[in-house]
Amino acid sequence: MKIERREIIAAGGLAAFAAGFSQTLGRVVSNFTGEKEPRFAEGRHIHGRSPEPEYTVDPVTGEFTPNPNQQVSYTACLGCTTQCGVRVRVDKASGEVIRVVGNPYSPLSTEPHLPMKVSVKESLIAMSRFQDQGLAGRSTACGRGNAAMDQMSSPFRVLTPMKRVGPRNSGEWEAISFEQLVKEVVEGGDLFGEGHVDGLAALRDLENPIDPAAPELGKRVNQVGVLTSVNDGRENFSRRFWNQSFGTLNHVGHGSYCGGAYRSGSGALFGDLKKMPHAKPDLSNAEFVLFIGTAPANAGNPFKIFGSKLAKGRSEGRLDYVVVDPVLNNSNNLATAERGRWVPIRPGTDGALVMGIIRWMFDNDKVNAGYLAWPNLKAAEAAGEPSFTNAGWLVIAEEGHPRQGRFLRGSDIGIEVAAEDKYKDADPYVIATAEGELVAANSATVPAVLEATRIVELGGKPVMVKTPFELLRESARRFELAEYSAACGIPEEIIAGLADEFTRHGRKASAVAHGGMMAGNGFNNAYAVVTLNALIGNLNWKGGFIINGGGFKDNAAGPRYDLETFPGQVKPSGTPVGRNVPYERSSEFKRRQAEGKPYPATDAWFPNAPGLGTEWFTGALRGYPYTLKALVLWSCNPLYGIPGIRPLIEKDLADPKKLPLIISVDPLINESNAFADYIVPDSIMYESWGFPAPWAGIPTKATTARWPVVEPKATTNADGQRIGMETFYIALAKAMNLPGFGTDAIADMDGKRYPLDRAEDWYLRGAANVAFAGKTPVGDATDEDMALSGVDRIRPLMESTLKPEEWRKAAMVFTRGGRYQGADEAQDAARPEWQANRFNKPLWVWNENIGTARNTMTGERSSGCATWMPPSFFDGTPMREIHTEADWPLQIVSYKSALQNSYSIATRITSLHPDNPVIVHPADAGKLGLQTGDSARIRTPGGNAACTVIVHEGVMPGVMAIEHGYGHRELGARAHRLGEHTQPDRPDLRAGINLNDLGLSDPTRGDKVIWVDSVSGTAVRQGLPARLERV
Amino acid sequence: MKAPSSPLVDASRRAFLRGVPALTAAAAVAPTPALANDGKHQWAMLVDVRKCIGCQACTVSCIQENIVPEGSFRTVVSTYSVKLTDSDQPAGTYVLPRLCNHCDNPPCIPVCPVSATYKREDGIVAVDGDRCVGCAYCVQACPYDARFINHETNKADKCTFCAHRVDAGLLPACVETCVGGARIFGDINDPNGELSRRLKEAQPELKVLKPELETAPRVFYIGLDERFTGKVEGEGTLWKPRNLHSSAHG
Repeated sequence: MKIERREIIAAGGLAAFAAGFSQTLGRVVSNFTGEKEPRFAEGRHIHGRSPEPEYTVDPVTGEFTPNPNQQVSYTACLGCTTQCGVRVRVDKASGEVIRVVGNPYSPLSTEPHLPMKVSVKESLIAMSRFQDQGLAGRSTACGRGNAAMDQMSSPFRVLTPMKRVGPRNSGEWEAISFEQLVKEVVEGGDLFGEGHVDGLAALRDLENPIDPAAPELGKRVNQVGVLTSVNDGRENFSRRFWNQSFGTLNHVGHGSYCGGAYRSGSGALFGDLKKMPHAKPDLSNAEFVLFIGTAPANAGNPFKIFGSKLAKGRSEGRLDYVVVDPVLNNSNNLATAERGRWVPIRPGTDGALVMGIIRWMFDNDKVNAGYLAWPNLKAAEAAGEPSFTNAGWLVIAEEGHPRQGRFLRGSDIGIEVAAEDKYKDADPYVIATAEGELVAANSATVPAVLEATRIVELGGKPVMVKTPFELLRESARRFELAEYSAACGIPEEIIAGLADEFTRHGRKASAVAHGGMMAGNGFNNAYAVVTLNALIGNLNWKGGFIINGGGFKDNAAGPRYDLETFPGQVKPSGTPVGRNVPYERSSEFKRRQAEGKPYPATDAWFPNAPGLGTEWFTGALRGYPYTLKALVLWSCNPLYGIPGIRPLIEKDLADPKKLPLIISVDPLINESNAFADYIVPDSIMYESWGFPAPWAGIPTKATTARWPVVEPKATTNADGQRIGMETFYIALAKAMNLPGFGTDAIADMDGKRYPLDRAEDWYLRGAANVAFAGKTPVGDATDEDMALSGVDRIRPLMESTLKPEEWRKAAMVFTRGGRYQGADEAQDAARPEWQANRFNKPLWVWNENIGTARNTMTGERSSGCATWMPPSFFDGTPMREIHTEADWPLQIVSYKSALQNSYSIATRITSLHPDNPVIVHPADAGKLGLQTGDSARIRTPGGNAACTVIVHEGVMPGVMAIEHGYGHRELGARAHRLGEHTQPDRPDLRAGINLNDLGLSDPTRGDKVIWVDSVSGTAVRQGLPARLERV
Repeated sequence: MKAPSSPLVDASRRAFLRGVPALTAAAAVAPTPALANDGKHQWAMLVDVRKCIGCQACTVSCIQENIVPEGSFRTVVSTYSVKLTDSDQPAGTYVLPRLCNHCDNPPCIPVCPVSATYKREDGIVAVDGDRCVGCAYCVQACPYDARFINHETNKADKCTFCAHRVDAGLLPACVETCVGGARIFGDINDPNGELSRRLKEAQPELKVLKPELETAPRVFYIGLDERFTGKVEGEGTLWKPRNLHSSAHG
């Protein structure tokens, strides 16, 4: 390897050590007046301003001495969506957080994590130098996790209810009392001198339909929508209020503009397109992992523990991995170059690469056909396989047949099925046996014939059937390897090499994707990537593709309290604003069908998608399917996060006539709730309650407990309760006399009822459910556990709220920062090569919901199995047909930062990494004469933005890479005024650019909506056509 | 890297990955961590670069633990995008955690006019804040750019191995939070300790920064590439931490 000096580009931290001294040279006068620093070693003052250690452990005896001035509390981080378990060190006198590291009980922070029975004291000793325990049992926080505590004391926090003064987004607010807030949003009135605004009480209309001509839309209550981001362990509380008590259907998260395309592709394979189950590589035991559009050790979920496991695997020599991505990142490490490789790819062409790999596997007989042939779990397990697929189930493949794309069912071949069960779950799928018989798949004890193309007679007519195995092979063979190579920009021999490597590790290999799938074909690309796993049969194998262990539910119907249901609860119904339901069930379809032209619909529908925040704003503001009368933004930032949305809605969102009421619940002012009429302060980071569970990648059961390890900073209401999401919703419920809150809202298992007047009434009972879930409850926390962990502070609350036999077990959960299954229980005791927690349903190599759904603009079907299609707009027109390479020679992609995220901008991360220069390949920069550090302008069909460039080879030629998390307009980038108080002016927080400001609209949908994937409805930010200009 | 020219040729295990050039082995003689003969603690650190993921957890934890002013760093992970000219992989990432090397022969000590900088009996190079006048001679003398003048205290400042934590039986903040497990801290005088064991295991590939200066660093590296041991003249330093040197932002 040859490196020339000029070819080495510092990507970070380069000059850090040199920086500083030149400015301070010659400053010889000592003006330092020591505060109350502790002095330690040798009587010399060497420790600067470092605080006292949190405790002392005698390195010889292990004797533990706590520091009475500090506490170490176990709770969750919210520095990203992984929500790792952390230990938070607090100065008791000031209530300020000193530093944050990992929680050794949490499998998101530690491998292996400590058993619950280890006392808090022992857990702290385990982090010390004593017998080098702290090295072996290291429990960490990442860079951002170390910095995120700065949010707690941010000068930009909203600490009191605020009401806008002047027009929306003017940045001018007045503080109002909590009681005034509740009264105004419930009762409505002429709240802003702009005319009457309906309050929530009037909007909770459970009787009248939104549109009498379209009853399927539901009642008017659905015109109140709640947009959130990620479940931080509190979503159930919000859903209890908005869905079950208030009664609206519309409560949706941020997935569709995060990494939803991957989830949808995974949902297709795992057979559930609403809940979208997904798996992760077992990085603790894998031999080879193919990461496509996801970057372990750089970002992802779980970010940190995957970073730890990747580092361990590659340095111990067990793990090889390849990262396929347009951008080089921290997944690569040249010190282990022989273990990990970066393969650059063109954006939005992952499907071409993967279908090339699949084709190679078929052509070279490297598909695990023996595994694929098992048609049900029982037969598979008997054959030593812990999972199974539908690769052998027969599919109706007759062109033009009304059930084309559907599976052949038992009732089709004469199996007795009750009439009402026909084509439903009780009607079995069908396989062909080696003897040529057609039998029910669910009871077969023999393998299916995978090459089973034949004609069967259906309704007296000959009909062609094929297996998913054959359909996938046909799909893969639609193109030659050379064509796939030409599409994705990866040489044929590398595609073949990847395929070869992938199939050389038995079940200890896997392929995974994530945010890189957010392209104009993201669903198809993602479905292809996850299908690779089915073809080697790695699901549920140790070292293979593994699912989460699950959690211990807090809001269950027990075992101590029913937090799931309550008398008088509403069952929301209707059509969601995001139109993620079949168009064919709408009144519009019936009307158009009667007119003889069912397609096109007015606009796109997404029957195989989950709730779609991407479609909310443009849908609601245009009234398709209906308008929203009130929007609640709870800790979410769609205007920053959805590519291309801002120019489409900015004007309408500022117009109260278009959307009469916007209420935000948030600890900060971001690009979205800057448009709110009211902002209600919420708790932040370590102030909050909640029970989040790992998103993926943790094979053992885990529920993290969040609890206010310090007193929240927001002001209180008249009852003395800290204002936050829970306080607000409880007050709304009481003001409207809604069920499920207040007196007698919660029942125990004997039917005895308890109030829900405060957040603690909910979360402490949730903790009791967590503590008692499963076969045996957790043990009791000791007084020492509670004293050391700061749980003492909430002890009186627990004692007064819970039963005598409950509270110490709930305290156990809080003192350990959650409840965690033992690290040694990841694998099945009887079959140690199998995971203990397994996915037991089929993998859908062919998904009939996908294969039979029609595009609502064209009426055309999409492929029911993995396939390659270029990035396209909704009606199937390839993006490059409209935005040609001649006009837009480059493409931009977004990549996750290892440090910054969309809301960490006002923390120490920003001083370490203040800006996001756009990475440009030297070949592209050279054409414009651009060099590192130059200013430039990026243009896309959706917008333009100024940037600086950094030029190096760590990007695919033709691609410009933009790190996410910069280019802010809010979160400190603009100084808001609250009464007489003006926030600090921090122009540095505006640095850099936000790729989402450059997103595209969809010309095949009239340029009135953003460009989304036509199946999953997910936003497109990878592969936006662009050009770069000198400035 | 050289992938098999035909898919089925050269199908040995890990054929696909082989061929990416590994970083060259050290020409320099591997340092032998000296065993101080007084039998007392001698603190040292091993940095396994293969395990570093460049997450800067060490950097930020150090800032929080030691109240390091914005724009200054007691430790940081330099991160490079390296062009590869004899590989199919066009570029790669190289990371290098840096901190005070707590040299056994520290160039910073003799230049201090007030004897504020000194070496503790346990090997930690420290700055006595009561003596330091902030003249910055030591800052200039350090070949590792590990020192700075703390503009809030006006004293020379640098990594102390978190001596206040070490003395309390705890680990340095950066070590506690190292996500990749790249930083190993311990006593090289404890033959049964994790550090000694790892140093012994890694002996053939052990390196230090700038061995030619004979500073006898107490920070050892595995996976160190000589091309990065000095000050790298990067063409662009855009990913450069901000150095505001004002107390306006906390």
